[in-house]
Amino acid sequence: MTNIYKVLRATVEEVIDESPIIKTFVLIPESPFKFNTGEFIELSLNGFGEAPFTPSSSPLITDKLEITIMKTGYVTEKFHQLKSGEVLGIRGPFGRGYPVEKFFGKEVLILGGGCGLAPIRSLLFALEDVKDKLQRIILCYGSKSPSDCIYKPLFSRLNRIDKFETYRTVDKPEPGWKESVGVVTTLLDKVRMKIENTVAVVCGPPVMMKFGTIRLLEMGYKDDQIYLSMEKNMSCGVGKCGHCMMGEFFVCKDGPVFTYEEVKNTPDLWK
Amino acid sequence: MRLQFYSGKMNNLYRINRGDWHRLIQSLSVSSYNILAPVRNNGGIDYTIINNETRDEIVYNEAKPATPLKMFFLPVKLNVTRTVSDAKKTIIIGAPACDIEGLKLLDLIYLDEKFSDETYLSRRENTLLISTDCYCTQEHCHCTTYGINPYPAKGCDISLSSDKVDHYLMTWSEKGDQFIKELASSGQIDQVDKNKIEVISEQRNRTIKSLSEKNESIPGTEITGTIVRESGREIWKKYSSKCVSCGACSAICPTCTCFLLIDRPGFEKVKQLDTCQYPAFERVAGGEDPLKALSNRFKNRYMCKYAWRPKRYNVIACTGCGRCIEACISKINKNELIMELI
Repeated sequence: MTNIYKVLRATVEEVIDESPIIKTFVLIPESPFKFNTGEFIELSLNGFGEAPFTPSSSPLITDKLEITIMKTGYVTEKFHQLKSGEVLGIRGPFGRGYPVEKFFGKEVLILGGGCGLAPIRSLLFALEDVKDKLQRIILCYGSKSPSDCIYKPLFSRLNRIDKFETYRTVDKPEPGWKESVGVVTTLLDKVRMKIENTVAVVCGPPVMMKFGTIRLLEMGYKDDQIYLSMEKNMSCGVGKCGHCMMGEFFVCKDGPVFTYEEVKNTPDLWK
Repeated sequence: MRLQFYSGKMNNLYRINRGDWHRLIQSLSVSSYNILAPVRNNGGIDYTIINNETRDEIVYNEAKPATPLKMFFLPVKLNVTRTVSDAKKTIIIGAPACDIEGLKLLDLIYLDEKFSDETYLSRRENTLLISTDCYCTQEHCHCTTYGINPYPAKGCDISLSSDKVDHYLMTWSEKGDQFIKELASSGQIDQVDKNKIEVISEQRNRTIKSLSEKNESIPGTEITGTIVRESGREIWKKYSSKCVSCGACSAICPTCTCFLLIDRPGFEKVKQLDTCQYPAFERVAGGEDPLKALSNRFKNRYMCKYAWRPKRYNVIACTGCGRCIEACISKINKNELIMELI
């Protein structure tokens, strides 16, 4: 039996600046690391702290792992000081990721905000691999400003791939910005989907998840067509410590990906 | 991974003279076992390590040790990345039925098939549980309210009931039967017909009757679940206004198991008991915190006990031990709150 609290060591190979407060860490695990897209890991700073992140890299690659981290608190600030060559600890993968096979034959609408694009990038890699089995993949992404927009090369790359379409918006434009301005839900007016044959994936800050879901419901999406990636304080990752309880659910074990149908009755869902 | 208990009617009943039992336990305490049993202290009874000085003080068939049984399997602080196996086995005598019931929920959480907790499992496997009937109860005992009898059943290794002359030992696991065999090699233990348990059923019924009468106005499992789920905000504000978030109710609760995982050099992890009653329990890095308000934290514990855990695990997460009522420094009585909701 393996000890669920022991880590797999991984070395930082490269640190990529994505935005003023977001960095991507390319990790080389000491042995191949498999995960399904949307599942998360617990990443440890030796003797300092541990936090949950969903890999932003392709689930098809097992010798390298990319984690995108926004500087937002005590532990993430320390992550941002990391240099290549340093050693981190990985536990996982944990939880239930995106049910990609359930998307077969359908159009996939992805609504992302801010650093919520990290798990979505991994999902996009997974969807690219099975694009023959999908109708269309539409990515709508919103960030605060153009310089807060992460994975800039991703969009032009996706736009060159058959079946993929991307749309971007920012709250505050900067000189030279030629794309949309406004909250991410405004992009939904630009895309025409066959709603009855579409699944919607929403991932971003809680307020964006809330208004994104409300807008999708108004447009006619059913509760079980909307997939949410919930952000809670997953600490042990294995359904024991209780910090990520959301009603009867352990987000770490039952999620982090839920349909809106599954969680809609949870009190304070968006907090 | 699950611990194995007898199903159906595989258990056996043994009878041993109280004096003989006492001598056998004495002989054990100096050999290869750590023995813990309740002895009387200032306020009531609590577990103590049984040695030459304490061996004559073991209290049988009284409710209930101050320390909940969980503490032996989920100590307040434990390094969970180091596996230390204790050469000595542990015998816990005197765990009440309510705590055995609480252990079932802990097993469901800590020994789930995909992510079994190694340190919890090794402690469970290394411990022999001798649970005892409660013949006298304490002020806030209300196990029968939630369908739990004041005497042990499945979940312990051996249950111990007594009359004036003898102890009756019923085995509930192979581990229990092996232990009886071991004892029998150095003393007189008779296997008796299982129907003999009836000699103590009169006493059991008396305890049930007194508990049921005392607590007849407290609603049972299902009604409590419903009224807690459907409650408005006012009641929680009212009762939580006295709460100081000390977390004593959780610390003393036989089914509260939430913990904090602390990082130590060498990627070691230390597990420390935590509670949703403390501020920032659910806070995420971005700052959102569904339990920021004291009244939300206060309600969360009741929702967990009476609504969420029962829904998820199909077991009640309050065993009616009443320890939270005794431990509350603000004298919040959860049964008064529940009765006010009716």
